[in-house]
Formats: sequence, structure tokens, C-alpha cells
Amino acid sequence: MGQWADGAARIGRFAAALRSTSPRRGGTRRAVPLAWRNMLSDRRRLLRSISGIAFAALLMMLQIGFRNAFIDSALQVLYNIDGDILITSSTKFRFAAKDPFARRQLYAAHAVDGVAWARPIYGEWNLAIWKNPQTRKTYSTQVLAFDPDQPVFLFPEVRDHLEQLRQPDTALSDRKARRSYGFADAGTVTELTRREIRIIGNFALGPDFTADGTVITSDRTFLKFFAPRPLAAGELADIEFGVVKVRPGYAIETVQQALKQALPANIAVRTKAEWLALETDFQNTVSPVGPIFMLGTAIGFIVGMMISYQVLYTDLSDQLPQYATLKAMGYENTYLVRAVLEQASFYALAGFLPGLAVAVGLAHVLADVTLLPLRMSFETVATTFALTLGMCLFAAALAMRRVLAADPADVF
Amino acid sequence: MKTLVAWRIVAHDKGRSGLAIGGVFVAILLMFLQLGFYASVPRGGLLFYDAMRFDLLLASSAYVFEGQSSTIPRRRLFQALAVPQVLRANALYHDRARWLNDDERLARDIFVMGLDLRGVLFDLPEIERRLEALRQPDTILVDTASRPELGALVAGRRIELEQRNVTIAGTYSLGTGFIGLGVALTSDLNFTRIFPKRSLSAVNLGLLVLEPGADPNVVAASLRNIMPADTRVFTRAEINDHEMNHWVTRTSTGLVFGCGLLVAAIVGLVILNQTLSTQITRQLPQFATLKAMGYSDGYLGGVVIILAIIMSTISYVPAAAVAVALYSMVRDATKLPIEMNSARMAGVLAIVWGMSALSALVALRVLRRADPVELF
Repeated sequence: MGQWADGAARIGRFAAALRSTSPRRGGTRRAVPLAWRNMLSDRRRLLRSISGIAFAALLMMLQIGFRNAFIDSALQVLYNIDGDILITSSTKFRFAAKDPFARRQLYAAHAVDGVAWARPIYGEWNLAIWKNPQTRKTYSTQVLAFDPDQPVFLFPEVRDHLEQLRQPDTALSDRKARRSYGFADAGTVTELTRREIRIIGNFALGPDFTADGTVITSDRTFLKFFAPRPLAAGELADIEFGVVKVRPGYAIETVQQALKQALPANIAVRTKAEWLALETDFQNTVSPVGPIFMLGTAIGFIVGMMISYQVLYTDLSDQLPQYATLKAMGYENTYLVRAVLEQASFYALAGFLPGLAVAVGLAHVLADVTLLPLRMSFETVATTFALTLGMCLFAAALAMRRVLAADPADVF
Repeated sequence: MKTLVAWRIVAHDKGRSGLAIGGVFVAILLMFLQLGFYASVPRGGLLFYDAMRFDLLLASSAYVFEGQSSTIPRRRLFQALAVPQVLRANALYHDRARWLNDDERLARDIFVMGLDLRGVLFDLPEIERRLEALRQPDTILVDTASRPELGALVAGRRIELEQRNVTIAGTYSLGTGFIGLGVALTSDLNFTRIFPKRSLSAVNLGLLVLEPGADPNVVAASLRNIMPADTRVFTRAEINDHEMNHWVTRTSTGLVFGCGLLVAAIVGLVILNQTLSTQITRQLPQFATLKAMGYSDGYLGGVVIILAIIMSTISYVPAAAVAVALYSMVRDATKLPIEMNSARMAGVLAIVWGMSALSALVALRVLRRADPVELF
């Protein structure tokens, strides 16, 4: 919500700046809201024009929103890890790539000044197979595990079930997993990698590019299911992530540097922000989703520009005699230009607002259908508004030539 | 006569008409592109099956899609050979391996397929020619479409795959489809070297080639009779449907391109309608004059419809040509089997004509109201 308040404040300042340069301030000559009246002169056509521009705005908003949602889906699990720094194997290139390292590095991390705690996360992506409790069909799944005495996940349901997770062969499953995973309420008994497992609760994560569903277990259950070989007494299992919480009063970067010093070269120490950037970067370069939605946004922009050009051109053509009259009365071109640009901005705003309303509604529905974290963030909305305004102004600039060329003598 | 009037209107203001035709051109091109994507992108998931020689496919009953196929006992292949029409049964193994790129010091996942070198699995001379090289231990062939993050893909380079020293024996270019960042081929023996936990007795897929003239459906039926419940038998058509269905309904792919298709259709129709109705509105005084001269509404309607059809057809021809060119560009860049076919060309033309006529009819309503007296 914070970003919205911040954004609203920024818009307010922008509007105030606009008002101070607005041609309608002061001077009786500017008292007639010409652009406003021009726009309202034909209500029926106005409705059609606005719906055209609204469509383009909606299109761009959804495309940008989808793009962000796809990338966001890959970040959800990182957002739900309670820590400031993640320690991994240095060759690990993304969250969902099995690349474990020795747990003793975690104890080395403990000793570093400023580390409040360093806790393990275990992960399995290749071997884990989930059986849909209803259809009994099997699908690969992502399994994450932690020590219930050292909680690392922020999912409230996981925090509430620590006690029950200590029971052997229990797990929490993702209630937003793809439909093919079936419904596994608390008490459901199904199979994970051909072994019986009891579901004790659900959390909400949702699928991403690689994982269609997620299961969270305790470290003991996890090792029973996925340890590459039986571990000798006292032997430590390899871990996927070391989650480090920085002690209050210490800067994350300082602790990160100290950890890098303390740990060998085959261990990478990244802050959570760096992990978010790494994962975003991976999705941007590797998956085709970024370019596809960029293309979609560009199409929305071009189409919107064509629509708003048509709208403005038709408006200006119809009102050409009026413009010519104004010119004959001695109004300068700059005044007319300003009126046209103002009208274009009104169109942008008038089209954008219904577009936004529909987009917010659609986002709710589509988020449920696609299981993506689709929401109209401030960034998405602001980008779309800028694009909508840009396309209307650009179209106005193109259509303007007609007004500038209007010769009072020709028109009548 | 009507056609002449309509043509005169198009030719009258060439600049404006050109602009309108340009707009319609964009709309049609958009439809072609999105249709092409929608039809061909899920086929990216069929890239390997399309390139493989087989009439029937044996897979596990837990088969989800090619990248998640589970395994069946190899003896199912020998059981299949008991059916007289089955000529050959070849095993295909695959798994994901960690490929360590020395330069970047990052490990990436790649998809490795292990082939029985005695069978001719791929219908691609480029691969067949190089298969001999895989008889050497710890060698692989790499697809040149693999991501650049894997480093230089040149014959002779030694890399680390699943913590094993492996040599790139050569490259081929088939494409990686949706299977991952890269694809490598190797022999079944090398496959077990790279994945020591995998055994040759658990195969991912069994590829059956039938006697010439045998009906795959009949053979599939008799195979289903003898196979236990752990094995599924697919004909080519069935595996095509299965994979397409997987990509369209079970992943976001169908959603993304379905969305694109819907948008293209709406946008195309809106532009078409807007442009054509503007063209007609612009000529309103002329139409009103004709009306005043005594021409009937029906006559003017005919002119308008012909005008719309002329304009959309002029736009359609270059749009189809550019679409074919764009298809081949996309095909080269992504290796997706995106191709123009006559059904799509005819379909788009029909939509365009239908929409043109519809826009003309909408514009006619304005025309019907056109009163000569008001206009001057």
C-alpha cells in the first residue's frame, strides 16, 4: 500500500506543477475550457472514442501486469524466506536448481560477527514426485524442508504448524498449486516419491516457471525421503540454502563481506535483494515471456496511437471551421496547439480510468484462473498511464497539422 | 459501375487512403502473427517427436510430457517385438544434467538424451552423420541452439557434466524446444556413465517402427492387450494431441498465446472498423450528393461495401507476404515450426472480408442519416 501512497503524492505534485503552467489560469482570454468543451461536443462519439482508448490502455496494462506477474511468480518463494542473506553453492544459478553444499559452512557462518542466526533450507526438484490424492496421477513437484526448531519460512500456515511438522512423514502442501495436483486438505494421506505422507495443512505459494506445486516438510522427513544415501550417525546432510539473519544494528553489506571472508570460494554469499535480481535476470534472459509481453505492450501502444489519432483527427476535422474562426479572430497557433494537446490529455485520462477499473477487476479473476500473482502494482499502473498519455499526445501532434494548416478563407 | 465509384473514392486522396490501408495492413499482419504463434508455439514441445522415426511410442503410465516421462522396464520393448508387425523397438533414455561452465563458474541444467546407436532414431542426416563419434567414451553432441550461457559449443571442448569430464564430439542444430536451456545427445552407454544411478533396464521411451503397410492403430490395439498397466501406447497422432494439450492447457503457454490471439482479433477488428468507417464518413458529402441526385440507399450501400472490400484486399496482399517473411524469420530465430498454410490464409481473408462488410454496414447507418440539405 505504501507504494500507492507514495505514488499518489507524486501524482499530486505533478498535477500541481501542471496547473501552474495551465493556460486556463488568469486572463479572461483563457477562461473558456476549449479542449474540455470540444471533447464533450458529441457525447455519443465521445463514448466510442473513450472506449477505444480505454481498450488500448487495458491492453497495455494487462500485458505489463502479466509480464510482472510471471517474473514475480518466480520470486514469491524468496519473498517468503525470513532472512537477509542467502548462502549457496557458488555454481548455483537459480533458486530451483539442485546444487547442495556442506552444512558445516553454516556453522562457520554462525561464527561471523553480526550473524543473528544461520539456518538451513533443503530442496529437491528432480526426484520429488507428488501423487494427486484424487486422481492418483503423479507429477514432479518442488520440495523444501527446514528444521522446525529453526523456522525460516514466513508463510503463516507454516509457522502455525511447526509442532505438527515434527511428526514423521508429515508435510504442508501448496493450496495454489496447479489443479492437476488435486486438493490435499489437512488429514489427506497421499504419496511423495512413492512413500506415504500425511498432509497437515496448506500454505499459498502458487506455481512458477519450473515448479507446478510445492511441498514443505521437516528436515528429518526430507532426509528420510531424499537423502542420496543413508547418513552415518552424526553425519551432516548437504543443504541447498543457508539463511542468515543479520543482528540488529549491523549493516547487511558489512556482514555479507565478513561472510565472504569467512567462507571458501565454492560458497556464494548473496543478499536477498541480490537473489531477487539474479532470479529476475534469469527469467528475463532465458524465458521468452519478457519479449512476448513487451511485444504485446508495443502492439497496444501502436494500436492505441492509431485509435487516438483517428479520434483526434475526426474531432479536429469536424471542428475545423471553429478553429479557423478562432484563428481569424486572432488567436495564435500556440493557443490552438495547447488546446489540442490538452484535449489529447483529457482523452488519455478519460480512457485510462475506465481501463484501469476493468484491469483491476480482470486481474482478480485472471489471478485466480492462472494462479499467477497478477496485481495492478503502482509501477504497472504508472507505466501504463505514461504510455497512454504518450500515445495520445503523439497522436495529437500528428493530427495537429490539420489545425495549423486551417485557413479561415478556405473553410468558408 | 459501383466498383468504379468505389475505386475512384480510394484513388481520390491517395495519401489518406494509403494511411488507412497501412492501418488495415497492421491489423491483418497482427492477426497472422498471433495465429502463427498460437498454432506453432505448442508445437515447440513436439520438436523432438517430429524429428524422430517411430510409428508407435511406449511410455510409462505416469508420463506427463516429454520432459517428465518417468520410466518403463526395458522388457516392454522386447514384449512389443512379439507382435509380428513391430519391426524395431529402440530405447530412448533422457535426464537432466548439471553442465558446469568454466568461464562463468555457474552450473546450468541441460537435457541429455541417450540413444541406442544401432537404431536410427532421428530423421535428421546431420545427427545420423555424427552419431559414430558417440562410440567414443564420454562424448556428447550438443545442439547449437543451446543457450550461450553454456559457453562455446565447439567440437573438442571438454566440459564437466554431472561432475564428469565429457568431450563435445560435435554439434547439430535441431532446436531445444521447451525442454530446457540446452540439449545434448549421447549414446546409451555414455548416458549411464554420465548418470551412474540410471540403469539401461529402465527406459524413458520406447520407439517402435512397424512393418511397411501395417496400420499403427491396429498394432497399438494389440499392444495394449499385451502390455501391463504400467505402460501406455501412443500412436503419432495421440502423442501429438497429448503434448499439444499439455502445453496449451497445463502450462501458461496456451494462456499467453491465447491472450495474444484474442487481443489480435479484437485489435484487428477495431482498427478495420475504425479505419473503414472513417473513410466512409469522410466521403459523406459526396454520398449525400449522390443521394440527392436520386441514387438509392441500396446502391450507395453496395458502393460502400465494395470500397471496404477493395481497401482490405489491397492491405491483405502485402500483409500476407510480410507475414510469410516474418514466419521464416521467427522460424530461423526460434526453430519453432511456424508455417503459413492455405487454411490460415483463407481464414484470415474471410475474417477480413466479413469484418469489412460489417464495418461498411455500420457506416451505412451514418450514410442513411446523411441529409443533403444539412451537409452544405
